[in-house]
Amino acid sequence: MPGTFRFLDEIAVADMAFEAEGDSLPALFDAATQALIESLANPATVAQTWQQTVNMEEPDVDTLLFEWLNRLVYLKDAQAVVFHHATLALHATPDRSAWHLHAELVGAPVDQTTQDLRSDVKGVTKHLYAVTQTGTSWKARVVLDV
Amino acid sequence: MTLNTDMQVNRIDDYLWEIPPSEKAGMLVPARIYASSAILGAMDRGVFDQVTNVACLPGIHRYALCMPDGHWGYGFPIGGVAAFDPEDGIISPGGVGYDINCGMRLIRTDLTLSEVQPKLELLMTELFRRVPAGVGSRGFVNMTRREFREVMRQGAGWCIARGYGWAEDLERIEERGCLEGADPAHVTDYAIERGINQLGTLGSGNHYLEVQVVSDKHLFDREPAAAMGLTGRDQIVVMVHCGSRGFGHQVASDYLKVFEKAMRRYGISVKDQQLACAPFRSPEGQDYFGAMNCAANTAFANRQVITHQIREAFAAVFDSTPHALGMQLIYDVAHNIAKVERYGDREWLVHRKGATRAFGPGSPELPDCYRAIGQPVICGGSMETGSYLLVGTNRAMHDTFGSTMHGSGRTMSRAQAKRTVRGEQLLRDMKQHGILVKAVSMSGLAEEAGLAYKNISEVVHTVDQAGITKKVAELKPIGNIKG
Repeated sequence: MPGTFRFLDEIAVADMAFEAEGDSLPALFDAATQALIESLANPATVAQTWQQTVNMEEPDVDTLLFEWLNRLVYLKDAQAVVFHHATLALHATPDRSAWHLHAELVGAPVDQTTQDLRSDVKGVTKHLYAVTQTGTSWKARVVLDV
Repeated sequence: MTLNTDMQVNRIDDYLWEIPPSEKAGMLVPARIYASSAILGAMDRGVFDQVTNVACLPGIHRYALCMPDGHWGYGFPIGGVAAFDPEDGIISPGGVGYDINCGMRLIRTDLTLSEVQPKLELLMTELFRRVPAGVGSRGFVNMTRREFREVMRQGAGWCIARGYGWAEDLERIEERGCLEGADPAHVTDYAIERGINQLGTLGSGNHYLEVQVVSDKHLFDREPAAAMGLTGRDQIVVMVHCGSRGFGHQVASDYLKVFEKAMRRYGISVKDQQLACAPFRSPEGQDYFGAMNCAANTAFANRQVITHQIREAFAAVFDSTPHALGMQLIYDVAHNIAKVERYGDREWLVHRKGATRAFGPGSPELPDCYRAIGQPVICGGSMETGSYLLVGTNRAMHDTFGSTMHGSGRTMSRAQAKRTVRGEQLLRDMKQHGILVKAVSMSGLAEEAGLAYKNISEVVHTVDQAGITKKVAELKPIGNIKG
């Protein structure tokens, strides 16, 4: 099952917040990534002319999701791009002491004439940040500084 | 009066309230909130929780303060002010904000409304073309990494040396547009890569460039107004609200991680992870201070380049020169910053987060032109309602570490604002009310609708009556550029 996300109204009055969930960890990462992509621009209006591969490793899934989302924000500014989609592959070392993310990001340079641009997200914050597991379901709450 | 807190809030006077240290374990000093009864009653729970969290931080002096435009923020509330002993106190990125040296700049002109109105569409189009805004926008100043490091060290002066401004601009910028102690060695490559192409860009969110009018009826105090070159008579001014863009945010994010680890080393515990801090004199504290000053100087430079572009746009549209149009800078002031400042015979590390420096008359830090009247304070309101120009007071020097409000403060979430009003409709409504808006994002425009903000006049009335700043003029928008 693909993950889902919804924007939260009253958590950050001056900024943005979302909750993503999935019935697996990869589904959660997909949903949270989609939430951030859609915060920046309507992906349906973004061409697929730019690609980048990202590999990241962190000691736990909380940190990995936090750093991955922040990487998207960094790439948006450093390369002046917005995103169409991302294909993610997630795996842990056998002893689960490290988590690895392989991402294929696809998007296009920012073009104000053709893209439906939304918020210029400036950072993912630790405020109320949480990644939780209930059975096999995963949920993340993320507050974005805009 | 019902408040959004269970804590005891004592009335000091009609515009000042105090939460005693007995209300939360660990509070080292009282928390003080500047507000009218109505504003206090409408403040969100986060203000009370966060200002009392700040009162627990090591080395805090006298009070943790919150201004009347206060609302929930990351770590400190927006509107938060706190001073720490530089020798044994802390420095916290949560007390500065992610957008380091987000601030306001105001430029005067000799033009009047009747002269600008016929060319307003052309003027706003030209400004929109010359000052990039919105997601992923890039500025026209191409720099090498070495040059960008010089921007970090020199701030607005770097721009003026390259023709982006006038020499006399510098004296009308807080700290002459350059904070000492900027050290690019403590800035990460990530921050540099985010910021190197953004000089001269507005960004988005609540940042804007606004063409405003000062009419006679909105001029409250003519003496300081005259010192700032304001005569009323439907005079046109230009306001800019922006900061250090992605660069400053990356610096803040980088050092929040550093400080999370440093706190364990120094045995510091905080009530909120976003209050991560380190002793100011520690290596980590000094590294952050050096990097934060780099971001602050870059923000001064950003607003300086934007000023250059504004002057060029006016000159092109009115077929004149910026000097002939009288486009002097009135002032540029930070509202997200931490600085070492002297009060009496002591220095304190003052954090202002969504709060403005408001030095009173006679302050040696002020330029000759403003020493008699006090420092100009620029407070941005919503794009529908207008903004204010005030001056600092000696009472602020005594009571608030020379600090006051910075804007109107939000009352409605961005999501709710977008559900309540559509950007396209807002654009048409504002045009009907005589305000021409150029926006990159219609959803971003809806988020900034006037209904999402407090009534700025009420907020300004509070600081005026509290005596920590005095009203000079109200500035009404006629044109606005948003990311």
